[in-house]
Amino acid sequence: MRITHAGRAARLAVGAAAAVALLAGCSTSSGADGAAAGRTDVNYALPANATPNWIVPLGIAGKLATHNSAIMRTLWEPLVAYDGSEGEVGRVAKADLADEITFSDDGRTATITLDDRTWSDGEPVTSADVKFWFDLVQANTDVWASYSEGRLPDNVTEVATPDDKTVELTFDKVYNPEWLQASQLTLIVPLPAHAWAKTSDDEQPDPALAETEQGAKGIFDYLVTQSEDLSTYESNPLWQTINGPYSLTGFTDAGQVELTKNDKYDGDDAASITTVNLLPYTSTDAEVNAVRSGAVDYGYIPTTGLDAPEQYEQLDYAIEPWAGWSITYLPYNFNHPVMGPVYSQLYVRQALQHLVDQEQISDVIWKGAALPGYGPVPQNPESDFLSDEQKANPYPFDPEAAAALLADHGWTAGSDGVLECTAPGDGEDECGEGVKDGQKLAITILTQSGSAETDNMFAEIKSTFDQAGVAVTIESAPLNTVLSSIAPCTADQPDCDWELPFFGTAGSWYFGGYPSGERVFGTGAASNFGSYSDEELDTLMHDSTESTDPSVMQEYSKYGAENLPVMWLPNPVYQVSVIKNGLEGTTQDPLASFHPQRWSWAD
Amino acid sequence: MTTAIPATSGTVPPGVAAPVPVRAQRGGFGRFLTRRVLQALVVVLVVSVIVFALLHALPGGPARGVLGQQASAEQIAAFEAANGLDQPVVMQYLSFLGRSLTGDLGESYLLNQSVADAIALRLPKTLLLTGLSLVVAVIIAVPVGVYQAVRRNRAVDYWLSTLAIVAYSTPTFFLGMLLILLLSQTAGLFPAAAPQGNGVLEVLSQPAGLVLPVLTGAVPIVATFSRYMRSSTLDNLGEDYVRTARAKGTGYRDVVLRHVLRNSLTPVVAMLGYYLPVMFGGALVVEQLFNYPGMGLLFWSAAQSSDFPVLLGCVLVISVATVVGSLLADVVQALLDPRTRGAAR
Repeated sequence: MRITHAGRAARLAVGAAAAVALLAGCSTSSGADGAAAGRTDVNYALPANATPNWIVPLGIAGKLATHNSAIMRTLWEPLVAYDGSEGEVGRVAKADLADEITFSDDGRTATITLDDRTWSDGEPVTSADVKFWFDLVQANTDVWASYSEGRLPDNVTEVATPDDKTVELTFDKVYNPEWLQASQLTLIVPLPAHAWAKTSDDEQPDPALAETEQGAKGIFDYLVTQSEDLSTYESNPLWQTINGPYSLTGFTDAGQVELTKNDKYDGDDAASITTVNLLPYTSTDAEVNAVRSGAVDYGYIPTTGLDAPEQYEQLDYAIEPWAGWSITYLPYNFNHPVMGPVYSQLYVRQALQHLVDQEQISDVIWKGAALPGYGPVPQNPESDFLSDEQKANPYPFDPEAAAALLADHGWTAGSDGVLECTAPGDGEDECGEGVKDGQKLAITILTQSGSAETDNMFAEIKSTFDQAGVAVTIESAPLNTVLSSIAPCTADQPDCDWELPFFGTAGSWYFGGYPSGERVFGTGAASNFGSYSDEELDTLMHDSTESTDPSVMQEYSKYGAENLPVMWLPNPVYQVSVIKNGLEGTTQDPLASFHPQRWSWAD
Repeated sequence: MTTAIPATSGTVPPGVAAPVPVRAQRGGFGRFLTRRVLQALVVVLVVSVIVFALLHALPGGPARGVLGQQASAEQIAAFEAANGLDQPVVMQYLSFLGRSLTGDLGESYLLNQSVADAIALRLPKTLLLTGLSLVVAVIIAVPVGVYQAVRRNRAVDYWLSTLAIVAYSTPTFFLGMLLILLLSQTAGLFPAAAPQGNGVLEVLSQPAGLVLPVLTGAVPIVATFSRYMRSSTLDNLGEDYVRTARAKGTGYRDVVLRHVLRNSLTPVVAMLGYYLPVMFGGALVVEQLFNYPGMGLLFWSAAQSSDFPVLLGCVLVISVATVVGSLLADVVQALLDPRTRGAAR
């Protein structure tokens, strides 16, 4: 029988259609129907290119990403929990193991009684588990990522366990109790000594082993080694001894995590959703594709998605920007060999700050996905730490005020329109100490690449600065390159040639429960990249941790807003979330953690 | 009746030495192979030196980028000491070279894995994706190219040529997004994301998830290969042996399928060799778009996060694949067409 071309084409078409139908039939359901009723699972999208890679709640450097910490917190509850999921940042007692926290009259001893709780293997959670954590951390401060000299555990002179449910911590001096509770006690995660106090798989656990430095080092190394073995996360017996609302029941080599409700959980923060799938994405594009196809219940979209929210609302999502407990800024390199003396002049910093139109940038460029920030204390949500002066913005957008400040100090426009110092000296109407005659007001900003909003923000800043006679050169590089280029330095070092680096596309600095800034603005602090040094600010930061006067933080807020250790910029949100309608309890934690145990589907 | 025509029976182009019988060239082929292998080793070595030097020329080093902005000076110093970054660059390179020769590519700064493990985990997935794309592409491109040549300068040839040019010039990310929009989000036929399971077998167990990424990867290859196939077939259709076969009474279809097709495949076979590094290097755009954790993405993430050991490991694998692919292409071409051995010298 002769087969015509048309017949062959028809056969091919039928064959192709059959193949498509067959393959499409193999397509597995991804929970895309969007119907809330009866659902017991949630698909949560992890940040793009962020694959979980740590499990033991003893962080080491480089493993403290927020998604790692959030997963740990669903498995092991901390001694004291702080988050912002209830509208303001504060202690959330139902999510921690402490019952009552009291401070002695002399202010040096904290007594913590524990809730009556058990581990998943039936053993009680005791004060020995708190002591076990201390023993491990004290012997391993060189690798424990949250270590800061003079802070926990250095500032604890004695850990006493008078009974199974009581821990007494004696500190080396009096500290602000609020700071102690929010910044120090929150670091402590009671660990199951009865199961983890060993140095190899075959050994029988012995809590006494941790009491010697060598033993504690051995246990710490063992736990770290086990935590490095991603392939055993769902099978390793160590990670089955938990006290949190979820257990880890699945972990693929691509980084997909399955959390299942812990039936043995006996705390007050029990899970409602049975299964939470944490989905890794290779890029924001891939995640958005998954959102559009309905495979994600709680995900995120780029800020550009705010231009046309209806495209997601039609897909049964609600759009909710997730604001972080953070600040965003450009550090000045005060030790730059040429521009350092210029940046050291407060009037220069005031003039530059007057040229940043934070409201306009937040509304137009970030489309509301960034909020203006005027000082060192995070402004969203508001807190008692925030001063009226910071809230009011001491340096509102005012190019005329900026021009006047510079003109009053001897800066005049050159033939190219760029301001230059024509009155060197340190008199009141002169450029200031160290600023040379003819020095141009020309600055270079190194920004992190990859964000249209960041690019547009600095294009706007450049435009405004240029009009005011401040020449701006913008360079961009990947975030890690920016961070690698900006170590604190001295003027005589060859790598001290950077001026104003930006690494805040998702916020420059995230705080814990207590937003003191000694690690960012303290003289000589590791993350004080620009080497800012101000005795008054140092004193305020010192007092904010060691004084019991509650007004100190507000004074710090005021001083930081007025004295500009950095250039304050709008604070971008952590992410623009899309949440399936019907998924409830998703109040977004400004500390950038997620709490799936509080989620539920509407009936 | 059909007549077998040797693959090398074509006329010798001007300027190329007349072919020498294969038996007489055996010693020459061995020397050719040895020389090409040595060249390949030198290329890999030079690439590793260049990449190592470039990575270490980056300002600041990787520690701050890896540990984050909150890391203390002590932690940065400890990281550098632990990873040998406090040693002179030459010593670091020699150490890297020595370890590499024993198969130890070092430890990733971020992945909690050795580089070898990280590559071993992703390479099979990448090979699956790129291999399937290639197979699909060849299955489509070869008959399309031959068909176009046979029906040259007719409407169907023009249409298919236009289609090939459109496919070739369409950016991969756009094509992928179009396929997702049409076949996933609108028609709901296939998932928008590739399977996320452990290992290749688990990935293969969800074939629907592979359709869109494989298709996205295959389309540009179809466009390229079909053009090569068309022009190669056209060249062969004009050869004397075709006329001879036809004169002997062989049917046109038999001549095309049994003789022309085989000879026309030579440039495509060479192209397959050059495609090898792409297969090993992964398809970054496809991997990003379809959430497929393969080699391309491993390389990209390592570059973004200053994970030097992973970067070096990926470069090593890709450069070895490049020279091996090029070597294989030359060898296969030399075997198929002995005239090229002379040219290779």
